[in-house]
Amino acid sequence: MSDPPFDFGLKSFADFWSQAGKAAQQAQEDATRSFTEALKSTIRPAAQADLPVWPGAAVDNAELARASEALAELWKAATELSTGMAKSLAGAGNGLSGAKLDPTVEATFRAMADPRTWLAGAGGMDLVIGAVAQGPQLADLWNAERQQARVMQAWTEMRRRTLEHNAVVMQGWLGAARAFGEEIAGRTKKDGNSPDHKTTLALWAETANRVMLETQRSEPFLQTQAAMIRSGAEFRMAQREMAERWAAQFGFPTRTELDDVHRSLTELRREFRAFRRKHAERGAAPARKSEA
Amino acid sequence: MGEKALSPAEAVSTAAHALADAVSTGSKLLAGTELFSRIRDQDVQIATTPRDVVWRQDKVTLHHFRPLAERHVRIPVLITYGLIGRWTMTDLQDDRSLVRNLLNLGVDLYVVDWGNPSRADRYLTLDDYICSYLDACVTEVARQAGTDRVNLLGVCEGGVFTTAYAALEPERVNTMALTITPIDFHADAVENRPGHGFINIWTRALAPEDVDRLIEANGNLPGEFMGAVFSLMTPIRTMFKYNLDLLDVAGDENRLVNWLRMEKWIADRPDHPGEAAKQWLKELYQQNKLVKNQLELDGRRVDLSRITMPVLNVYAKDDHIIPPATSQALRSVVGAKEYEELALPGGHVGVFVGGKSQKLFAPAVMEFVRKHDGGAA
Repeated sequence: MSDPPFDFGLKSFADFWSQAGKAAQQAQEDATRSFTEALKSTIRPAAQADLPVWPGAAVDNAELARASEALAELWKAATELSTGMAKSLAGAGNGLSGAKLDPTVEATFRAMADPRTWLAGAGGMDLVIGAVAQGPQLADLWNAERQQARVMQAWTEMRRRTLEHNAVVMQGWLGAARAFGEEIAGRTKKDGNSPDHKTTLALWAETANRVMLETQRSEPFLQTQAAMIRSGAEFRMAQREMAERWAAQFGFPTRTELDDVHRSLTELRREFRAFRRKHAERGAAPARKSEA
Repeated sequence: MGEKALSPAEAVSTAAHALADAVSTGSKLLAGTELFSRIRDQDVQIATTPRDVVWRQDKVTLHHFRPLAERHVRIPVLITYGLIGRWTMTDLQDDRSLVRNLLNLGVDLYVVDWGNPSRADRYLTLDDYICSYLDACVTEVARQAGTDRVNLLGVCEGGVFTTAYAALEPERVNTMALTITPIDFHADAVENRPGHGFINIWTRALAPEDVDRLIEANGNLPGEFMGAVFSLMTPIRTMFKYNLDLLDVAGDENRLVNWLRMEKWIADRPDHPGEAAKQWLKELYQQNKLVKNQLELDGRRVDLSRITMPVLNVYAKDDHIIPPATSQALRSVVGAKEYEELALPGGHVGVFVGGKSQKLFAPAVMEFVRKHDGGAA
């Protein structure tokens, strides 16, 4: 049997190598379309009417809609920017260097200019929070209205806080693009020539890095990041409460009960280690000195 | 090219050509594809220096490295890494290995591995790790070496463990060497360099209750979460990693395998036990108790003035995770008369894998421990 191929979860790494430029563009377009549709459905009044109405939930949904609209506006601007880049790339064969771009290079650059990357690939904290917040699907438990309502509210709050944070991040990236454009325009105007390709790439990296590092220590970023983390934890806790209610009905052990066991086990081990240490010290010299 | 200014989209698109110019993609991609088809997991090994497990308790194991040269110091050195990441960074590859460099210089070397904490370990505290597990490791190393004291070499969070232990049990520590270790968790504001100290800033932006709730919801501090935090600290670097960086190394097998070794280390990111994470984030990052001598472990106050043994404090000049000032704060708070600092070029992991560090770091540690090897019991 041959050795296993090199593999420890570098999915994005493997994806990169198997990705053709055309497929990347299609994926980007599909994702953009689905994301836009998702946003539309989130803020569509009819969709809200479909949701169960619990006290307080309507207010949260309105806040969610506002956050969604704000991000949708930014997303539109980012998508236009990205589309502009894509069009320029399409004519690259007759472009500045006169050489047609390698498909993989093209795909690489598309990934760098993809707004999805700005939101997720560069950080991913919202994805991680989303992943750790995902719990079991419990669609058949609609009879537990109160707890289900709390889960829905927590989910709404998490989505809202994530959208608000993404809006701050997106604003940062758009600010970087604006600063980059101004810098390029300034340099072109100064000596009549556009910077060469390498200089341009370096300038984009330097500008985006500077602006994003500033963004990431700004008060809006800090506040929305903290709110996103908080809401992710609350959502998971709400899910757990509902799951534990279900588990209790059928006599299954709950997370809380397992935590109790683990706490007891840790304490017992702690006492055992201390006992063993004292036992060992009894025969050893010199005795250790401890601060009073 | 005319005088017309490029739009942002047009200007950015020209960067794609730079990629083509920069990497000679055709041949590199071909070579890279061919390399990937034949690289196997066993080709990408880390922490390969021969060692033996000499002690274990719960999930903690103590390893003793087999000598690679004649021993020149009597008192052994115990490497203590933190719970974020793993000690294997100190032995990433044969020619970039603090472990091998120290062994080649004749150091008797041990390392503690904290294992893979699971949800069942969420109630482990810093008290457990420092006052119990680390203490037991020190006891075992001293027993094996036939000495009363050992030399401690702490790394990052493990450096904090080492510092706290040295303050609580100074008579058991011959010398203390720290590497990229935060002492004053609020000193990121001293230099305030862009992109440096994000963990300090972000953690202070959280309320203590947020930290409690995060741990309550997840049990531990997920390694995946910390991975996202580290990626977020360098947004552009992260964006270039799997394209430009990869293209840059794709045509050279040695460079590619080295790059993959680092990926392997990054992928091996254990979860941080929950209660210990709460102490780490609240009592240290938020409340800064260590440098204020307010940290308490096992009911005992960690008073840094009790660290009277010789101290070597190693930090990285461009460390964006542990800004130098947060490490250098140690000088003014320890009771040691012999205090040395070594500033290494590069960033956080550059201390271990940087080319210049290979020639500076281990020799400095060796010289430090050899200088103080005579007074041991």
